[in-house]
Amino acid sequence: MNDPVVRVRDLRKVYRVNERQTGFGATVTSLFRRKFKEVPAVGGITFDIAPGEIVGFLGPNGAGKTTTLKMLSGLLYPTSGEAIVNGDIPWRRRDEFLKTITLLMGNRSQLVWDIPAADSFLVLKEIYTIPDAQYGATLDELTALLELEPLLHKPVRGLSLGERMKVEFAAGLLHSPRIAFLDEPTLGLDVSMQARIRAFVAEYNRRSGATILLTSHYMDDVVALCRRVIVIHHGVLLYDGALADLAERMAPYKRISVTLTTASSARDLSSYGEVASRDEYHATLHVPRREAPERTARLVRELGDGLADISVEDPPIEEVIDKVFTSERPLEAVPA
Amino acid sequence: MIRIYRQLFTAQFQAAAQYRIQFLLWMLFSVIRPTIFMAAWVAVAAAQGGSVGGYSVADFAGYYIVMTLVGHLTAAWNSFEFEFEIRQGRLSPKLLRPLHPLHYAIVENQVFKFSTLPPLAIVLAILALTFQVHFATEWWHVVLFVPAIVLAWALSFMLGWVVATAAFWLQRVQTVNTLLQRTSFIFAGQIAPIALMPAALQAICYALPFYYILGVPTEILRGGVSFERAVALIVGQAIWLGVCWAAFLVAWRRGLRQFSAVGA
Amino acid sequence: MIRYLRMFRMFALSELQFELEYRLNFIFVLLEMVLVVGTSVGAVLIMFAHTTNLNGWTLPQMLVLIGVFYLIQGGNALLFEPSFQRLMEHVRLGTLDYHLLKPVNTQFIVSVRHMRVVRIPDVLLGFIVMGVGLAQLGARVGPLDALLFALALLCGLALVYSLLLVLVTLSFWFVRVENLLTIFWAFTDAGRFPVDLYPGWLRFTLSTVVPIGIAVTAPSQAIASKIGPVEVALLAAGTVVAFTVASAFWRLGLRNYTGASA
Repeated sequence: MNDPVVRVRDLRKVYRVNERQTGFGATVTSLFRRKFKEVPAVGGITFDIAPGEIVGFLGPNGAGKTTTLKMLSGLLYPTSGEAIVNGDIPWRRRDEFLKTITLLMGNRSQLVWDIPAADSFLVLKEIYTIPDAQYGATLDELTALLELEPLLHKPVRGLSLGERMKVEFAAGLLHSPRIAFLDEPTLGLDVSMQARIRAFVAEYNRRSGATILLTSHYMDDVVALCRRVIVIHHGVLLYDGALADLAERMAPYKRISVTLTTASSARDLSSYGEVASRDEYHATLHVPRREAPERTARLVRELGDGLADISVEDPPIEEVIDKVFTSERPLEAVPA
Repeated sequence: MIRIYRQLFTAQFQAAAQYRIQFLLWMLFSVIRPTIFMAAWVAVAAAQGGSVGGYSVADFAGYYIVMTLVGHLTAAWNSFEFEFEIRQGRLSPKLLRPLHPLHYAIVENQVFKFSTLPPLAIVLAILALTFQVHFATEWWHVVLFVPAIVLAWALSFMLGWVVATAAFWLQRVQTVNTLLQRTSFIFAGQIAPIALMPAALQAICYALPFYYILGVPTEILRGGVSFERAVALIVGQAIWLGVCWAAFLVAWRRGLRQFSAVGA
Repeated sequence: MIRYLRMFRMFALSELQFELEYRLNFIFVLLEMVLVVGTSVGAVLIMFAHTTNLNGWTLPQMLVLIGVFYLIQGGNALLFEPSFQRLMEHVRLGTLDYHLLKPVNTQFIVSVRHMRVVRIPDVLLGFIVMGVGLAQLGARVGPLDALLFALALLCGLALVYSLLLVLVTLSFWFVRVENLLTIFWAFTDAGRFPVDLYPGWLRFTLSTVVPIGIAVTAPSQAIASKIGPVEVALLAAGTVVAFTVASAFWRLGLRNYTGASA
């Protein structure tokens, strides 16, 4: 493993929330006597990310994903713990550091609504002091990859959500950051646009070698892009390792789906495995991972002509993740 | 009709309770503006040995304090929201109800004034005491003030709505409205009592509606206006109200036709 | 420094592009400003038809004062106000994060990122009125007065900026800061006459809490030789203090926003 670009050690964030009453009088009083409630958001997490990796950050709402991304990009001070990103402490927010990162939030736009994106890009060029030649090259490449040509000169408010997200991506990547934090980049997009954004992220990562840390509600994003995932829940790191291993460790079973030629109600399938669901012609069985080949063979042999189709697969990742979140038991990290 | 109004009033009063801070801000605005000009004219009078054009320091104070009250009572901002409602598509549901949108505006306008009048009166009373104002008010001035203020309010209200109906055709009525307000500021008697203005300016003031909204009720309540002049000014108000009312009826009917043709 | 000037130029250009799409609006705003400035000048002319002296101010001096008022108010509406309005929006929507991630001084970017180019006529009209007043004052303006005037004007702008910065910084803690700004604008209106004209409470407010009175009156007094180098030096010192305090308060707000002080 190369030297990590992101190095996180026991990072914690506790929010102090001011318990404010409504009304003018209470507001004034609260200026002097404040009641605080401590809300732990991230409870001490540790991980490393190597250059060029795409890592998926998973967790339900309120798990601490966004808080972690904000700390790593320098927007939030941690309560305790360390983080080194691109060789710098993020929350010092030094200009040199900020030039090497980008943060894209799917639900928040950084473009000015009333003017065309091309104009906003020129402003960004000055802000990031991007040399003319590099700016031209980067913009050309992003325009080609994201098919931006028809979008650049329309006011942003006239773009569809998907079009806007493409332009947001370009805005965030103009300065060729070495690491990109993507917070729900496909939020609210339709399926085909999600797929295009995904393809873009993969291609961008391949071309530029930039490290990408991504959170998403859509498991498809994670499955398509990330070989490695980090799962957090209630601010605690539950799993860090290969996506493939996550399924194996968390769901030590496989799914066998069978389609029968005759009504299945007559047959008792419980001897082959746990029947997860069944209707007249279909049934889904859960069998222990190691016994899957043997059970499958038995099904084929014993059902004979009664079997129209059979398939063996890993359980869907949503189911696995769901299981992780409900178990709330930290798993041992599998070295990536 | 009275019952409808009673219902509307109750609903509006409940809604108004939420806007206390806006009330206070509005009051600040309506007090500071006249205070600025009052201070300036008091300085002029002081420089001229205490009196200018028949206005003493105490007269100026009285004039501007009454004007603040009149400005408050005649304020009509409701048409400002009209363009917004058209654009947001909120007008259509209102048109479906068996009550002209004007009535909602009237009630909202009145409720705001009633709820803000007491605090404003207190502030004005304090100002009046500090400046030791002088009023030349006779009993019949007070009597004439009643029709004058009602007509002034109606005129201000209708004028606003005539402009508002332009929203059926124009995109930026807001800008037109602002221009109107700015113009009103010159010719309504806010920068100076009309008697102190040059003759040419006075003629324009008499020809435009703005003076009849602010200046006329102010002068009548402050006193120092002869009975004949007061009556003549009230007649002027009535004429302008008639003109605005007619203009509104025409514009509204045409506008609605336009509105339903384009749809929203 | 040059980098910041380049950025500033780009901010202005980008806003100009936007405004050019609404040229009609530009004409309306110009018309409105002519009316507004015309009213102010008209009011003063009417007053001076009845007197030759307003609390020690002559007509040319008053014209200079009105010019300075629209210079400062217009400069403010042109430069800082639109950016600050967006800033409050950013805090509410959480999009301030993007500004914080820019490799630029955050106070700079939130203060001048957006300009309202249509407000340039305000400043121009201010200059014209002031110019007319100065021309009437004629030879009585020496180079020292001019220098003091320029310095006082700069201080005036910086004072108003500092106060605005403090007000918008409050939006890190409070939701409804707009109301405070409205109060500020209400008082600003009073800047069009010399601050020494007003009754005590208003004069006090305009010289301290809402320094528009000082900001407008001081440069005009400087050009009319009503105040000298000592007073302007005091004003400059006060401005530096105000600016420093405002910046410190802004950083405190920012630290609170990012959780550094928790």
